Amino acid sequence: MISDEQVYQQVTQIMAEEFELEPESLQPDATLYEDLGLDSLDAVDMVVALEKAFGMKMTDEEAVRSVRTLADLFDLVCRLKNRQVTKE
Amino acid sequence: MKAEVVVIGSGISGLTAAALLAKKGKRVVILEQNRRPGGALKRFTRRGIPFDIGFHYSGGMGKGEILRALWKYIGVWPRLAVLPFPEEGNENLRIMDSGKVVRAFFSYDRLEDELQRVFPGEKQGIYAYLNKIREISNTIPFFNLDLPLTPYLHDLFSPKGMSLAQLLMSLIRDTDLHAVLSTPVFLYGVPPREVNLTIHASVAHPLYSGVYAIDGGGQAIVDAFLATLAEAGVDILTGQKVESVLIRGNQVAGVKTSEKEIYASHVIYTGHPTSLLDLVPGEIFRKAFCNRMRNLINTDSMFIVFGAIDDPDTLGDLTWINYYNIRTGLDIMDLDLRHPEKSIMINAPGRRDSDSTGASGGVLLIRMSVWDEVARFDQGVREKRSAAYRKWKAESADKMIEQAGRLWGDAYSRIEPLAIGTPLTFRDKLGLPMGATYGVRHSMNQFSPGVRTRLPGLWLSGQGTLMAGIMGASLAGMVTVGEIEGLEPLWYEVRQCR
Repeated sequence: MISDEQVYQQVTQIMAEEFELEPESLQPDATLYEDLGLDSLDAVDMVVALEKAFGMKMTDEEAVRSVRTLADLFDLVCRLKNRQVTKE
Repeated sequence: MKAEVVVIGSGISGLTAAALLAKKGKRVVILEQNRRPGGALKRFTRRGIPFDIGFHYSGGMGKGEILRALWKYIGVWPRLAVLPFPEEGNENLRIMDSGKVVRAFFSYDRLEDELQRVFPGEKQGIYAYLNKIREISNTIPFFNLDLPLTPYLHDLFSPKGMSLAQLLMSLIRDTDLHAVLSTPVFLYGVPPREVNLTIHASVAHPLYSGVYAIDGGGQAIVDAFLATLAEAGVDILTGQKVESVLIRGNQVAGVKTSEKEIYASHVIYTGHPTSLLDLVPGEIFRKAFCNRMRNLINTDSMFIVFGAIDDPDTLGDLTWINYYNIRTGLDIMDLDLRHPEKSIMINAPGRRDSDSTGASGGVLLIRMSVWDEVARFDQGVREKRSAAYRKWKAESADKMIEQAGRLWGDAYSRIEPLAIGTPLTFRDKLGLPMGATYGVRHSMNQFSPGVRTRLPGLWLSGQGTLMAGIMGASLAGMVTVGEIEGLEPLWYEVRQCR
């Protein structure tokens, strides 16, 4: 099982690479839409990239839609990862 | 050369989009890389026999139904002679494991009667399944034209909900009946365990509501569109391979083909979304989008024998009946190449033409296929095919003809193959990656591509962006134009034509 810290690092790395963002801009309180400049089109691409990297499904649309900051995103991914482990 | 909108691809989605934009007063140019426009709707002839490639029949053409309304609005409807299937028309489904034969009629009521006759122990499940499909279709604006489009489209691309397989398992025990109710999947290419009920109902509902042929087949549809487009002043340039999308600032400026540059502020790309990446400079899209488009899962392919028979009268009632030989259970799409008996289908769209005579003995023998079958023969698009490929193709066709004879009577064993389509053919002639018949797989395991892209002025259309098949692709053309021009006002005007 991977730790929350590893999830944090991996999410940061995916966002930096897949969306060509400056690593310094990827602070936990950075908002995806205002600070990082993502838009609603990017949201689906982001979900697909994270699903692939972590081998899980992010089908709870409400939860995805409520993500505002990178910290929210880390929380969501950690929550889903932990749930997956419990299921296994 | 200048236009307001360039449409890349002249399949039914491109033709629909172009006709709608022209109706809105836009100056439109269509670019087609093949010599003849029409994509999969085109017909070809061998020995004077007309063969349809992609159009065999469609729903949605009855009074008040969507394709009729849309094509009336566009102005092509009066140019078409629509031939409703007679009451006795059906999909004749033979389950290979039990030998059971079910006639799947193109009517909710007649289908229900037949299913209850063959599966008397499953009355409740049959009723519940058909009711569920009707119920879902009632929430889809294409089948309940009073609904707005926007909320439906917004929800469409999230892969969620129950799969067709889950629904069938919860209602029905008989695996033969699972297979029978799954057969619409052959019309959109997603296995029952991967497809959600909205996508399934979008094909099953029109199928259960009545289907139609067009006099002259898919070519008649192409010709009707071409006549309408010519009147509207739309230019169609064929033999024009688009090399790149032109960009000025952060905005589409047109396209560059092998021969010329065409300037336009909007470009609609109707090809497979993966191949769009080849036309746009690397820095325009983010890696996440490129990776997503590159990794899209596609539908499988088909192997089709276009054949002739000397004495067409011996084929019996093939005109309005499509014969299927399918496996029992929910995995009816699985192509087990080692299995001696294959799922196979036979129909004869050309026989439905009003001037069809004894000479029109053209039949189509179809089975599923996958790229793996032909990968070893692939020598690039323009290379001449090898003798080994031709041998494999001929032997595979012979096996299917022999099987058809065993299944449906001796007459079928005398089919003479005049042309054969394989995954390689469909890739090279129709631009489908790995010959994927229905393009992008509208599976619960992935998000289908949307219409908008990050590049202002560049839009996607085609069956990958909405629904598979002729209805899906034509509606996709409408939705893309709606995204450009305003979705609800366009939808309002279209539905006035029902």
